[in-house]
Amino acid sequence: MFECNICLDTAKDAVVSMCGHLFCWPCLHQWLETRPMKQLCPVCKAAISKDKVIPLYGRGSKQQEDPRNKVPPRPAGQRTEPENTGFPGFGFGDGGFHMSFGIGAFPFGFITSTFNGGHEQRPHIFQDRGVVNPEDEVLSKLFLYVAITIFLWLLIA
Amino acid sequence: MALKFNRNKHNSKIILDGERWERRLQKELMSLVREPPPGVVVDSDQGENLSLWTINMTGAEGTLYEGEHFTLQFKFSPKYPFDSPEVTFIGPNIPVHPHVYSNGHICLSILTDDWSPALSVQTVCLSIVSMLSSCKEKKRPPDNSFYVKTCNKNPKKTKWWYHDDTV
Ligand SMILES: [Zn+2]
Ligand SMILES: [Zn+2]
Repeated sequence: MFECNICLDTAKDAVVSMCGHLFCWPCLHQWLETRPMKQLCPVCKAAISKDKVIPLYGRGSKQQEDPRNKVPPRPAGQRTEPENTGFPGFGFGDGGFHMSFGIGAFPFGFITSTFNGGHEQRPHIFQDRGVVNPEDEVLSKLFLYVAITIFLWLLIA
Repeated sequence: MALKFNRNKHNSKIILDGERWERRLQKELMSLVREPPPGVVVDSDQGENLSLWTINMTGAEGTLYEGEHFTLQFKFSPKYPFDSPEVTFIGPNIPVHPHVYSNGHICLSILTDDWSPALSVQTVCLSIVSMLSSCKEKKRPPDNSFYVKTCNKNPKKTKWWYHDDTV
């Protein structure tokens, strides 16, 4: 049940993707490194990335060592505050959460067959599904921070 | 035990990994021996380090390959399962199929571009069984003679163009 989808062993330093698939963090990390330009869930081929996996912490059992201190570090858990503060996108790292929602629901086969005329499933279709390119994301965050800096500077000046 | 220790000393970075992936192959082998896909027979003895498997396959009833026997070879690199296995038909009888070249190379996207570490020997076998079963006409790929003369020995070196997958 709680076996990693890559090493087929009981998941160690477990993380779960937004599409619900369980992996050891070291296993998933290695897969993401294998194809850095094409990060897809090994099981269902949904877009996946380091920022969009959730670490699972079981109850108390063996907490002698923080798994994140290990190499490669497991991404930290993310908390979104229950109430909307009215200024979306200000907090670090919550952009990932908002953007990852629309991903799971698209029917795969439909788009595939439309675009490829009966060819086998090719991964490039995932670019058509509104999945955020990691580079764009970095860029848009950068712009946001530049904008905020200028805004603050204007306030002070 | 002593042997294992020596080997690990050479390549300390993949100590854990090496054992882990060997364990995964061992698990895969066990489950394949226990519950093989229809028409597939696997010997539980696949050599010492599990990096080369041979799998026997029989054409399914009611298909063009009914009663024929084939042999598949799986070669695993140390990077398995991040790296796909090298899968070819070997032996005297290579199935005549639009995606199987006469040298045993198979044009199947999950063996290269669409590989994922969540796939397994079992799922690859199933794909190959269904690829054979859905065949409507026994013939070689149109570029067979050219390909066989010019290709690399390793089918993974081929830049496959996944043509007509209606078969
Ligand atoms: Zn794992
Ligand atoms: Zn998934």
